[in-house]
Amino acid sequence: MDNNSNPLKVALHGLDERSCKMMSMFLQGPCRGVAVVVNESSAECEIFDADSISGKELLSNYLQKEIQKPIVILSLNTPQVASAFHVKKPVKTEEMIAALQKAKKSLAAVVAHAPVNSSDNTTNAVISDVQDSSKQVVEDKLTIKLHVKTDEQKKTSKHQAAMQLDEKGFVGFIGNVPGLDVNDPRQFSKAHYNPKEYFQGYVDSAFKVSRAKGHIRQLNSGWNPLIIFPQSDEIWLDVDESQLRAFSGLTISNTLGAKMSITPLSVESVAMERSLERYQSMDAFLWKVSCWASKGRYPGSIDINQPVFLKQWPNFTRLLLTPHAMRIAALLIQGPRTLLNVSQVLNVKPQYVFVFISSASALGLVGQTRRGADLLVEPDEIKTNKNQSLLSRILSVLRGKKA
Amino acid sequence: MSQYKIIFTGPVGAGKTTAINSISDLPPIKTDASASDMAKYRKASTTVALDYGVMNLPGGEKLHLYGTPGQERFDFMWDILVTGGIGLVLLLDNTRADPFQDMRFFLETFERFIADTTVAIGVTQMDLSAKPSIDDYHIQLRGMGIKPAIFAVDARAKSDVSLLIQALLYSLDPGLEG
Repeated sequence: MDNNSNPLKVALHGLDERSCKMMSMFLQGPCRGVAVVVNESSAECEIFDADSISGKELLSNYLQKEIQKPIVILSLNTPQVASAFHVKKPVKTEEMIAALQKAKKSLAAVVAHAPVNSSDNTTNAVISDVQDSSKQVVEDKLTIKLHVKTDEQKKTSKHQAAMQLDEKGFVGFIGNVPGLDVNDPRQFSKAHYNPKEYFQGYVDSAFKVSRAKGHIRQLNSGWNPLIIFPQSDEIWLDVDESQLRAFSGLTISNTLGAKMSITPLSVESVAMERSLERYQSMDAFLWKVSCWASKGRYPGSIDINQPVFLKQWPNFTRLLLTPHAMRIAALLIQGPRTLLNVSQVLNVKPQYVFVFISSASALGLVGQTRRGADLLVEPDEIKTNKNQSLLSRILSVLRGKKA
Repeated sequence: MSQYKIIFTGPVGAGKTTAINSISDLPPIKTDASASDMAKYRKASTTVALDYGVMNLPGGEKLHLYGTPGQERFDFMWDILVTGGIGLVLLLDNTRADPFQDMRFFLETFERFIADTTVAIGVTQMDLSAKPSIDDYHIQLRGMGIKPAIFAVDARAKSDVSLLIQALLYSLDPGLEG
């Protein structure tokens, strides 16, 4: 019955305007287009709501006429109309479809004996009216939405989805540490890094200073200056992404560390016009800089043997999305687990858990429990949803629908 | 065949119709009409019944996407609408006078449904009004004792809406593999 090419034309009686709209959508959606609502003169079947006052009266009047068309009655109680098809309220999809199919068969039998002149012109007029009215609504919408973009709206890096990485592109984009296999359990104790040795540490420190003072600051690194706007939670940096990625992956504490400084910005510099595309959100910037410093390792401040938890969901629509990050977040928001437990339970490589924890830690979203009791209660399995198969199918469709 | 659905709710102008449009496989059925009450100050037309869209799933099944009318006077329909739903997507308009109040209203209204399923929250129009921030929303939610996913969302962007729904699904079961 899906995509029904010859839907039954039905007219509604005793339903108010809103209920008519709901019924119309119910027929097109859940009832899979088995019937379409038209005006009375074009209808092949009449549907009455027998519980409404007007519906009762309309039905009673209709039954006085010489009836040729099938009738479907919606009511709480069984109606005393032998020739009608009854659908008991609350209306269930399958019962509605069955009643309409019976009505269609009944109509076919009537037509075979005495064909009814259909008034297609009238139907077309109704459809045309509806389309014209919709067009007007769309035009109204366009009129109200037409406006000059503000500077804020032009900061596309801030307001658009960031990159979504899959497993295949992970090492190429995030990098790795030569000689270290972060996924080898024997090397876990070495699979950590110190953010303070990387650009990440300096950015983090500059953000804290800038936020504490509430003033615009510039991080000078002997490289391109990073300008921090704490009031609007944004930064401005005029470099290509590939340059930033390379720079973020270098240990710079021993080389550029002495050149690093945070200075207030002069009034002239603040007022200077800047390319709006170069603005980024502070969180999104620190998040990706952390990913590149991590290279699949976890920050040294995290005890790999103690459970961690997530204080809140990261704003994933605006952050570089590493493989399985959303699953890891969903698991850790439920309760504390060790990083290795997360890797095992979700059946994902440790590097994906480590890189997520690095970035989430940089944003202050990770907490770590220090009590032995947490280790004892840490569950090995996840409670599986009863609709898991359905949910997986929805996910597979959504992932194929990335814009 | 079972009917599966995700419910989109939120105040007038939050982008429910647009979000459903972004991911629906069919042109969504809209029931917009000229706004004649408080909604007219926010947009020219508003949804008076509900929006409907469909996602076709492998195996021939369909996921139905329903958007509730934004106007509170239609709230009698909401209970009917959520029956059999697998989760709630709440969209909030950051340019509204008090988006926290909107959030509380909808979370309380759908409290029982959320307790049985889950909710993911999308904040729209953040390019027009950056405050409150996503962190500010988290602080409010902490006071309510819940930790749902809450993302900045451009309802016109399929990827944003897709990620929000993915978060909803992973909240139901982090073990899912898509």
